[in-house]
Amino acid sequence: MVQARELSVPRRRAARTGARRRYAPRWRVLAVFLLPALLLYSVFIVYPLVSALDYSFFEWRGIRQTGFAGLGNYRDLLSVYPYDQQLWRAFGHNALFFGGTMLIQNTVGLLFALLLFRYGRGKRFLQAAFTTPYLVDPLVVGYLWSLLLNPTFGPVNALLDAVGLDSWALPWLGDTRTALPIVILVNAWQWVGFPMLMFSAALAGIPAEYHEAARVDGASAWQAFRRVTLPLLTPAIGVVSVLTFIGNFNAFGLVYAMAGSSGSPAGSTDVLGLLFYRVGFVEGGVEAIGRSSALAVLMFVFIFGVSLLATSYFRRRERRLV
Amino acid sequence: MTSARRAPGRVAVHLLLWGYAVVALLPLVVMLLNSLRPTGEIFTAPLRLPTSPTLHSYLKVWTDASFSTYFLNSLIVTGGAVLIGTAVSALAAYPLARHDFFGSRFLGAYFLAGLMLPIRLGLVPIFYLMDSMGLIDSLLGLTLLYAASGVPFCVFVLSAFYRSLPGELDEAARLDGAGEFRIFGQIMLPLVRPALASVTLFQFVPLWHEFLYPLVLLRSDEKFTIPRGLSQFFGEYTTDWSALFAGLVLATAPLFVLFVLATKQIIAGLTAGMSK
Amino acid sequence: MNPTLGENERNCGPKGSLMKRRWIAGAIGVLAVALAACAPGGGASDQGDKAGADKVTLSLWSWRVEDVKAYEKILAKFEESHPKIHVEFKPFQATEYNNILATGLSSSGGPDVAQLRAYGGLQPLVEADQLLPLDGKVEALSGFDAKLLEGSKGHTDGKIYGVPFAYQTLQVLYNKKLFSDNGIEVPATWDDMIAAAKKLKAAGITPFAVAAGPDATWTLPITHEIFGNARYGSTAFRDALVKGEKKFTDPDFTASVKLIKDLEPYFPKDVVAVKIPDVQALFVTGKAAMYPTGTFDLAPVLAADPSLELGIFQVPPPPGSPVTTPVTPGWADGSFGVNAKSAHQAEALELVKWMATPEFGQLYATELKQLSAVPGVTPSDPLLAEMAKNYAGNGAPYTLLVNFRYGQPNGDAVFRDEVQKMLTGQTDPEAVAASVQKGVEQWFKPGN
Repeated sequence: MVQARELSVPRRRAARTGARRRYAPRWRVLAVFLLPALLLYSVFIVYPLVSALDYSFFEWRGIRQTGFAGLGNYRDLLSVYPYDQQLWRAFGHNALFFGGTMLIQNTVGLLFALLLFRYGRGKRFLQAAFTTPYLVDPLVVGYLWSLLLNPTFGPVNALLDAVGLDSWALPWLGDTRTALPIVILVNAWQWVGFPMLMFSAALAGIPAEYHEAARVDGASAWQAFRRVTLPLLTPAIGVVSVLTFIGNFNAFGLVYAMAGSSGSPAGSTDVLGLLFYRVGFVEGGVEAIGRSSALAVLMFVFIFGVSLLATSYFRRRERRLV
Repeated sequence: MTSARRAPGRVAVHLLLWGYAVVALLPLVVMLLNSLRPTGEIFTAPLRLPTSPTLHSYLKVWTDASFSTYFLNSLIVTGGAVLIGTAVSALAAYPLARHDFFGSRFLGAYFLAGLMLPIRLGLVPIFYLMDSMGLIDSLLGLTLLYAASGVPFCVFVLSAFYRSLPGELDEAARLDGAGEFRIFGQIMLPLVRPALASVTLFQFVPLWHEFLYPLVLLRSDEKFTIPRGLSQFFGEYTTDWSALFAGLVLATAPLFVLFVLATKQIIAGLTAGMSK
Repeated sequence: MNPTLGENERNCGPKGSLMKRRWIAGAIGVLAVALAACAPGGGASDQGDKAGADKVTLSLWSWRVEDVKAYEKILAKFEESHPKIHVEFKPFQATEYNNILATGLSSSGGPDVAQLRAYGGLQPLVEADQLLPLDGKVEALSGFDAKLLEGSKGHTDGKIYGVPFAYQTLQVLYNKKLFSDNGIEVPATWDDMIAAAKKLKAAGITPFAVAAGPDATWTLPITHEIFGNARYGSTAFRDALVKGEKKFTDPDFTASVKLIKDLEPYFPKDVVAVKIPDVQALFVTGKAAMYPTGTFDLAPVLAADPSLELGIFQVPPPPGSPVTTPVTPGWADGSFGVNAKSAHQAEALELVKWMATPEFGQLYATELKQLSAVPGVTPSDPLLAEMAKNYAGNGAPYTLLVNFRYGQPNGDAVFRDEVQKMLTGQTDPEAVAASVQKGVEQWFKPGN
C-alpha cells in the first residue's frame, strides 16, 4: 500500500497538471480533428439507426407504415406470449454470458498476458496462436465446434470413451444444462486473444522503474501484481470490461451457429440477439419491423446506460489510482 | 523466489501455455485437413489425416467461384474502409481524450453509442440511404459504410490509449511552441502505434467476414466480396463440404498474413514501451 | 444521382418525412462521395437500358441459389418463344431472401418477377402493396388446385398474387435393402410400423432418421405431421380450428403430439443434439432405415448416393385416429409474382403467364425433380409420381404452416420450441398443445 502510494506520485502530478485540467484548442483546429469522423459516422451509422429507432413507434404492415403506434410495439413485446417470457429468459442468458466471459475469457486473457510478459523464446508464436481463432468467422467456429462436440461422430466424446470417462460423454450442445456453458467457453476460446493483447499493451506501457521499485522494496510477485500492476491496468480493464459487456449483450453469430435461431435446446441458449433476429427476420409476421425495432431500442437503452455508468466508474478509479 | 520453488512453476507455465496453444490451433487444423480430402471422406472420418491429400478443391474454388475477383473486391473494400476508418478515428480520438472543450463529454458518448446497436437493425434504413445516394451495387458505398461502422470502436479504444500517455508530453511540446497538428503527428501518433495496429486488426477481421450488407447492397457478380461470392458458391454446391472448407481456408488465409504483419507492429510497439 | 427515376417517383420509403430526411442525408452523403472520388464503383446500373432498343431485360429473383443452372435451362426455352424478352435469374441466400426482396421491391433496380414465399410469408409484401394482383390477368390460374392457390393469396383481400410453382408432400422414405435384409414389409398398420422399428433397433439400426438439433427445429412440425396428421383429424380438424369450433388443446391434437414422445426411443440417441446433416448421413450410409421427410429431400439424398434403393410409404393411422386411412400432408411451396413497381409489367406478366403453362411445369419437374403445381403435369420419376398420386388421393393440410403463420408468434414457431422442450423432458404433450393455443390466440380470430 505504502509503495503504491509513493510510486504513483509522478503519475498523480501528471494527472493534475496535464491530463485533466487541460488546454483547449481553437474550434477551427478541433473541427479538423473531429469533422471527418463525425460526418462519416453520422451519415452512415447514426442516421440509419435513428431512423430504425423511429420505426419502433409506428404500426407496420410489412414494409409500409400504417400509423403512429406510440408505445404499442413495446407493450406487445412485454405482454404478447411467448415474447413476454422469452425476453426475460434471453436477458438472463445474456447476463450469464457476460458473467461467464468476464470470469473465464478475461481472467485467462490477463493470466496469459502476465505469463507472456517476460516470456522468452516462443512468445510471438504463443501470442499469435492464442489470437488465431479470432481470425475465423464466428459461423465457422460454431460449425467446427459442433462437429467436435457431436455426440454421434464427434472426437471429444470418442476421446472421453477411450480414456474410460464415458460417463462424462454428454450430448453437450443437446443438453439444456451444458449448452450455454459450452457456448460461453467456445466464445472465450475465440476471443481470449483480445483481452490478452489489450493487457499486454497496457503492461508494456507501465514504466519499468515501477516494477524495479517494487522488486527493490522486496515485494513478492503477488504483492507487486496486486499493489502495482493491477491498479495501473485499470484503464485496460475498463476498456475490456465495457467492450465485453457490449459484445456479450449483442451476441449473435456464434450462438446462432451453435444453437440455431431458437437457442436450442429448448431455448436454453436463447439470447437477446437471437430473439431480435427471430422477431424481425425469421417469423416474418407483418408486425416484424415495429416489434424488432422496439426490442432493439430496449437493448440499446440498457446497454448504453450500463456502459456509460461503467465508463464513468472506471474513469473515476483511473483518476484515483493512476 | 528461490530457484527450487521456481523450477516446477516454470514447467507448469510452459505446459499451460503450450498446451493451450494446441487447443487454440487444433480446430483450425481440422478445417485445413478437411479441405485436402474428398467430401465422402469428410462424412466417414472427418478428423483423421486425409488418406490421399489433394488440392482439387482449391482449384475448383479458385476457378468455378471466380475467387480472384472476390478477393480483389474484398481487399479494396475492407482495406479502404479500415484505412479511412482508422485515420478519421485517430484524428477524432485525440482531442476527445486530451482536451477539455465544450461538448467533449457529449461527443464521447455520441461515438460510444454506435457500439451498442445490433447492426442488423439498420438494414432497412441503410438500404434506403444507399438507394437515395445511388450507392446500391457499388463498392464505394460498401467501403464508406464499413469505414463508418469501425469509427465507434476505434474512437473508444484509441481514446483510452491517448489518455494513458503522460500529460507532460504534449505540455512540454506546447511550451516549446509546437502546434496541435505537430503534437498529434510527431508525438502522439507514433506512441499509439501499437494501438493503431490493434484496432486495424480488430476492425479488419469482422469486416472481412461481413456477409449481410454485401448480400443486400451488391447485385452483380463482378462486385461480390469473398463472403458474398462464397455464399453463392456454397449455395450452388451445397453438398461439397471439401470445397466449402477450401473456400474457408482461402477466405481466412489473408487474415493470417495481416495478422502476422499487425502483431509485428504491436510487438514492436510493446518492446519500445518496455525499454522506455 | 439516379438516371431512371425522379425524386418524387421514388416514393417507396416508409413515409414522407423520412423521405425528406433521407434526402438531406443523401446530400451530405454526396459530399462524402466527392471526398472519396477515387474509389472504384459507381451508381446503380439499370441493365435493362443497356440491351437493344426493343429487347427488354427482366430481372427474376429467387431464393434457390442451388437451382441456377436448371433455371437458366428452363428460361432459355422461354426466350426461344419470346425473342424480345431476356430474363436474368438472380438468386439470393434463402435465409435473408425475405428482407432482400422486401427492400428490393421498393427500390430502383429491383426485380420484375420474384419468387414469393407461400401463406404467411407472402403477407408482408401484400400488405405493403408491393405486388401486382394477378386475378383476371393470368387466366390459367383458374385451373390450379384450390388448395395450392391458397398459398399465394392475400390473407385479408383474397386476391391471388403469384403463380404457384411447386408443392411439397410429407411421407416416409425408406431403404429397401435394409427392409428386405431385416425381413420387414412396408407397414400396413401403426403396430406393424412399431414392430418394424423395434426389430431394426434390435439389429443396431436407427429406425427413424429424425433430427431435433439446433438446425432442425423446423423439421419437428414436419415429423409431427407425418406421424400425427391422421391422429389429430386432418382436414376436418383444421376446418374446425379455423371456424373456432375446436382448439389445439383438443384431446386428439394432444394425442398427436404425444406420438412424437412415444416414438423418441426409435429416433437417434440424444435426438436434441442431432443435426440435419447427421441424419442425412445416417440414412444415406444405411445406418438408419426410415427418413420421415418432404419431397425436398429426395434429390439431395439421391445426390449423396445415387445407387440407394428407395421406397416411400404413408404412415398408417395410429390407434384412435379420427381419420382411418393414411394421409399425405402437403403445402404450396411458393409462387412467382410481379413487382407492382416494375417498369416492364407487360413483359413480366408474359413470363408469369408462361409459368402457368404445362410447358414450364414439365420443364420444372424434370430439371428440378420437384412436384410442379401446374395442373396436368406428371413427374417422370416413379417416386415423385407416387407422391403426387398420394397427395391427389389423400392430400391433407400441414395445418400449422397453412393456417397459422399469419401473425406473430406463428403457431409453427411456438410448436417447434415446445416440442423440443418435450424431447428434453421439460414439458408434456398437454402443455405443448396449451402453449400453441395460447400463442396463436395472440392474433388469430376464428372465422377468418
